[in-house]
Amino acid sequence: MSERSATEADPRARPAVPGLELAAELRSTLERAGELARVVELNLRETAVSTAAATADERVQELERRLATAESDVKELASRLVDSEHQGGRLMNLYVATYQLHATLEPAEVQATIAEIAINLLGAEQFVLLLRKDDGPGYEIALLEGMYDGPVPPYDGDSYQEGDAMVDATLRDGVLRLGPTAESQALAAVPLRVQNDIVGALVLNKLLDHKPILRAEDRDLLDLLSAHAASAMFAARLFATKDRKLRTLESLVKLARGE
Amino acid sequence: MQPRKVLVVDDSKLMHKMYEVMLRQYPLVYAMDGRQALDRLQEHADIDLVLLDINMPNMNGLEFLAQIRTNGAHQDLPVIIISTEGRDEDTQRGLEAGATAYIKKPFHSEDILEKISQL
Repeated sequence: MSERSATEADPRARPAVPGLELAAELRSTLERAGELARVVELNLRETAVSTAAATADERVQELERRLATAESDVKELASRLVDSEHQGGRLMNLYVATYQLHATLEPAEVQATIAEIAINLLGAEQFVLLLRKDDGPGYEIALLEGMYDGPVPPYDGDSYQEGDAMVDATLRDGVLRLGPTAESQALAAVPLRVQNDIVGALVLNKLLDHKPILRAEDRDLLDLLSAHAASAMFAARLFATKDRKLRTLESLVKLARGE
Repeated sequence: MQPRKVLVVDDSKLMHKMYEVMLRQYPLVYAMDGRQALDRLQEHADIDLVLLDINMPNMNGLEFLAQIRTNGAHQDLPVIIISTEGRDEDTQRGLEAGATAYIKKPFHSEDILEKISQL
């Protein structure tokens, strides 16, 4: 029962105090306002929670995007690192081969270096080094490696005249050729040049079993051999010849002086 | 592993140069065959890694390996065989002889650096 009706029902009740009704109405209004404030507060809280959740979702998505980008960058960098390591390895092989070819003026050491490049860097098991003869037609077989059951034709004589179509063509026109072909079992015929003069060829006939094919980087080494092996050999032979002649002359001079 | 000194045993001067360039961060000692390698081990007590070829004159890599594995001072010395002998049975023979690892020639420089770091 409300305060007003209780007053009306009891005639002994005190007379109505002015302002009480107003105070009651105000209290009621305040109570309703309080309820409304609670509702608004609740709504605001719910809104805040949903906004925070939405923001968190966006943040997670953004972080996921960044993570994916970072992972992609790492993969790209790793791939580039592998490429640059391979490139560094290729350059190192070329540097070492060039350095060692020109490190000596002993013809035998130059030949040994050519063989070491073929075996250790190219993975060749069977190969032949042909050098043009100074005194007559044909090519001297300067090196024959890996034919454990003995030399096979056309490399079974003292010299090479002709017999392998790919090798013959390379010796003729100085073009590096890769095989095998219908006419040749050779895997590579590398012309050896001194300037534009073709003075021989390195013929790769077989690779080591665990090196099934010549790779792209091997082509750089073959080109290097083509350009540098012959000039290194030429310089070494020239030096050996001059040195021999010089010693002979010195001996003659001593003899003439009666020493 | 960060070796203090590496013994390179290979009869190829080209390979010596290759290791010199590739392993420039480590002091290197060279030998052309197994016998020279035994001498180097006597001369340099601080050698703590050997890179070993197999096919060499005088004393080959496996003979050298057998010698040092029976010697108390070098029983645990890490030895990486680096050889053109590339069949599975060659690898098996090298590991059974006491090699720590086996790498086939031709190799990529990172193969060797990785093996050294794994020791």
